[in-house]
Amino acid sequence: MDVNLSLLSIEIATVVLALGVLIIGLLVPKEQKYGLGYLVTIGLAIILFVSFSFYGINTKMFDGMYIIDDYSVFFKQLFLISATLVTLAATLYVKKIGTNYGEFFIMIVFATLGMMILSSAGDLITLYLALETMTISFYILTGFRKGDSKSIEAAVKYLILGALSSGVLLFGLSLVYGMTGTTVISEVALKIGEMASMPPALVVGVVFLVGGFGFKISAVPFQMWSPDVYEGAPTPVTAFLAVGSKAAAFAVLMRVFLIAFPDFSAQWRVLFAALAALTIIVGNLVAIPQTNIKRMLAYSSIAQAGYIMTGVVAANTAGVKGVAFYGMLYVFATIGAFTVVMNFSANTGSDEIKDYAGLAQRSPLLAAVLTVCLLSMAGIPPLAGFAGKFYLFSSIVSQGYLWLVIIGLLMSMASVYYYLSVAKVMYMADPQDDTPIIVPAGAKATLLITMAVTVFLGVYPQPLSVLANMAAKALFF
Amino acid sequence: MLTSYAGVVVVLIIGFIFPGILLGISRILQASHRNPTPVKLQTYECGLETQGETWVQFKISYFMYALVFVAFDVETIFLYPWAIKFQSLGLFAIVEMFIFIAILVIGFWYAWKEGALEWM
Repeated sequence: MDVNLSLLSIEIATVVLALGVLIIGLLVPKEQKYGLGYLVTIGLAIILFVSFSFYGINTKMFDGMYIIDDYSVFFKQLFLISATLVTLAATLYVKKIGTNYGEFFIMIVFATLGMMILSSAGDLITLYLALETMTISFYILTGFRKGDSKSIEAAVKYLILGALSSGVLLFGLSLVYGMTGTTVISEVALKIGEMASMPPALVVGVVFLVGGFGFKISAVPFQMWSPDVYEGAPTPVTAFLAVGSKAAAFAVLMRVFLIAFPDFSAQWRVLFAALAALTIIVGNLVAIPQTNIKRMLAYSSIAQAGYIMTGVVAANTAGVKGVAFYGMLYVFATIGAFTVVMNFSANTGSDEIKDYAGLAQRSPLLAAVLTVCLLSMAGIPPLAGFAGKFYLFSSIVSQGYLWLVIIGLLMSMASVYYYLSVAKVMYMADPQDDTPIIVPAGAKATLLITMAVTVFLGVYPQPLSVLANMAAKALFF
Repeated sequence: MLTSYAGVVVVLIIGFIFPGILLGISRILQASHRNPTPVKLQTYECGLETQGETWVQFKISYFMYALVFVAFDVETIFLYPWAIKFQSLGLFAIVEMFIFIAILVIGFWYAWKEGALEWM
């Protein structure tokens, strides 16, 4: 058996990190467990730096079942960055939960592992196993506040609807396998190319796949689970769910649709365009009346998924590049915003927008980061979100989807309203209680990093743009 | 053309009539609705009657045992093909299986330490 295991060293290192922390957690006494969070952060950061040496390898393992290319490495780095930032920010919040401190970070590492395998999956079975590794970790994380009925409710909802969507996805995968006789994604395309006409069962399979993936990226009309789950889950988990789970689903969705089904892209592109338009409109309009900041961010993240989906509609290198670029800066904006929310609620116990009144006086850092992150999501020019939306929309504008661009632009303008109304509450209103908010050092680091990167990428998007371009080219290689 | 569909029609007709026949026979044979007695209205004709409420709470720790058991059950499933072929697979397979078992043992150790095996 000739397998070059060193190609898998990122994944192996992640498993070793998770199991190692599990063992250390068993050996040290309870009061010393608070170091485990930092240990996981450092471990993930080291793996992140090692992963840079995997660019340019572009090879397939196990007869095409596992793909190491620039595309997968780019997304692995995206997951590692988000896991690092979330674990760095979450220490105080998880300490307040009180139980199973070490396990929280271990489950985050396992979820990251699932995402990384998902981005590398070249086979439908590997894809499904990786997806379940990720989702099962998230079920546990969502219900982590065992004493809080909202958290349990969110976990149960997520479990039931997640199982349903997995079933839909599996049904789609089995129809694709039944019609083509192979589970390797690149061979599916070859088999479809040999067919004289499209068998109806394959069409049904592809529609089921759109439904299954649509649930994971919370595209309208498959979004009904996400506001409840995002609100009930512990805030660090919400941040990771909004970023990692969504980006992982996009990574694998693009690989499946662009590599396996390019022959009837005309059909599924229309489907995705309709979904994207619906998602952008519903996400933004429903976000406006929200009074709970986590629900507001949940609907805004639904809208963001709609913007990202326009890159899938483009179905070319420029579109994939747009998705990769926007996905990366969405990581920083979302984790920054949720870190503010988690530290605010760890101090005050509230997630209501009206309680953010006068935050600028109580903690200038929190207010500044939240404003920058929200404005970046809205796509205000000097910030990163503008560059991201520019890449996404310019990839489809020349392909007859001008109407989708117009919807995107109009709704971006609408979104400025609810993003700015949070900023207005923070800066204009007077605080009801002006005790300063304590932000621990780890969370402070996360906040500063997310803000700096969001501003930096807006002013100078070149480095990330080059990387994203490389990733997009590798997908079609 | 029409004759090829005749079979479908025959199956349809039989399909509609047959349940009616069955229900009719059971109506003729059943005695309880004409002459109900307490014995005839019991849940089970034979077998033990339930004592007290049937909606009882099960101890959740039972499922812990079940989960740990399933983990080892699945391990055995993987061990069988490996045990048959490991001579031809060589050293790599042995090392790999030990890593696999080690991962499971860590999980078992965790479950034990967290008290999953204690019947409180």
